[in-house]
Amino acid sequence: MDPLLGMGVLALMGAAATIAGATEDLESDVGSQSNPNSQVQLAPQMMHPHRIYNKAISGEPPSNALMCAIGGTIASVMMSAYGLSVVFAITFGAAIAAVIHGTYAASSFMGRVSSQKRFKQPLYLDIVRSHTPVIIGYAFLTTFFILVISYLMSSVLNHPFPLPLLAFIWGITVGAIGSSTGDVHYGAEREYQNVEFGSGINAANSGDIVRHGESGLRNGIDNAWFCSKFGGPVTGIAFGMTVFLSGWVTTVFNPGESITMGWLSVIAGLLIVAILIIGNRIIETWARSTYGPYQEEESEEVTA
Amino acid sequence: MIDIVGILSANLLYVLLITIGGTLVSFSVHFVPVGGAPAAMAQAPGIGTGTVQLAAGAGLTGLITAGTVLGLTNSIAIVLASGAVGAMLMIGSTMIIGQMVYVFGVGVPPAGGKSKYDPITKDQQDIYSSQGTEGHALPTASYISGIIGGGLGGLGGSLVYYSLVNVTNNIGMTDLAGLAGIFAVGIFFINAVIPSYNIGGTTEGFHDPKFKKWYRAVISSIIATFMCAIIGVLAIGGL
Repeated sequence: MDPLLGMGVLALMGAAATIAGATEDLESDVGSQSNPNSQVQLAPQMMHPHRIYNKAISGEPPSNALMCAIGGTIASVMMSAYGLSVVFAITFGAAIAAVIHGTYAASSFMGRVSSQKRFKQPLYLDIVRSHTPVIIGYAFLTTFFILVISYLMSSVLNHPFPLPLLAFIWGITVGAIGSSTGDVHYGAEREYQNVEFGSGINAANSGDIVRHGESGLRNGIDNAWFCSKFGGPVTGIAFGMTVFLSGWVTTVFNPGESITMGWLSVIAGLLIVAILIIGNRIIETWARSTYGPYQEEESEEVTA
Repeated sequence: MIDIVGILSANLLYVLLITIGGTLVSFSVHFVPVGGAPAAMAQAPGIGTGTVQLAAGAGLTGLITAGTVLGLTNSIAIVLASGAVGAMLMIGSTMIIGQMVYVFGVGVPPAGGKSKYDPITKDQQDIYSSQGTEGHALPTASYISGIIGGGLGGLGGSLVYYSLVNVTNNIGMTDLAGLAGIFAVGIFFINAVIPSYNIGGTTEGFHDPKFKKWYRAVISSIIATFMCAIIGVLAIGGL
């Protein structure tokens, strides 16, 4: 393939991945999936009933992988068996997958909240009605863009894996990234805005989440609004970086041309990893010098 | 009727390579610094997700890269190295963005809880931990440990995939790649789950005391992967 065309396709995949990452994180924030869900689940037991959507279908990677694999399989069947256009097949596959995800979300929410009756946690039906379509909407966007990436990989870049398997793997990856990056912004900052910024969250505060919104009582859509300012976009950047960089090294240095090019692609990848390690160290030292320590060094060492 | 003995004896090398690959995955998971739900609340150091989730995300990204390269070259060394690099890029990108969320979004500096000084940078850790937490974010030692873990996981996953693709069979490359990919993902998951019993939710990487228990998971993985390898080789070799 023409290297310039390959780079163009890769850029498109990177852009699609950035959107997929951002929507994946916001979908989990609206429904309060993944690790921060532990606090939403715990709050009623600590006498803090709330109006936050509480779904934890599974860990984010398996639930996104299921969604994307369903979408990928439907799209693949529609293209190969019925000869439908790519755009229609991918859109239809993503729509079906999103609706299936919505049924999991609604049943998960109602099941979880019903089990908390003894802690006086109400089951708000208006929350089900208002939040589930938003979850379905975000799930559609995530699945659609993952399918775009998978389709481009399998048909244009000639990846040997079939479309549904690529969609499954990218679903696992986007879930892993969303769970590792954007969710921290929701779990460690948004849920605990009642403590001073940067003061850390004492384990004793577990379950004492903020329940009052900017206006009225806080719900999952308020959380997505807050996280869309930082957590969502950075998740998109992380997934975009992953898709772009892992493809970039083999597109620029094509291992199909010669063994030397193959090793150059490996070296280029290792150089990027080295830059990331240095970048991490710079952020670490910046944070330590700017924020300073929480406590002074122990006095025993001075007096001893 | 499938000639079980014939297929296994013809592909014995690949059975062994799959077993080694799966065991590498199991060993690699011990390096990945994960803090689970406490880390998502910045109450423990590491990435705020589960062991299996992050290890699988990284390793499978490596598998995609290895799949791309295997379609272009037959050099096993380049395929394995590309798989490792793909996984390292995924976990490196994820950890640096995660670090940014902790520092800029939550406002806490990186601090480990298992050792007073970072084993690589020698920076003091305990004074940077906020009250009531074990630490937060990713100090350099944890970051580098994660990169090593991602690399080994990608290497192991690629080795499994490479071996499965090369098993003697009578099916076309398109079907073979898909089938081998599915088996590789399955074997990867089995070996990502086994070490999580050692890790028990949180680990900071190679300097965490839990790391010393790696051999238990590795022994379990050798047995589990060997059985998976026999089934995988028979399934693909019998077609």
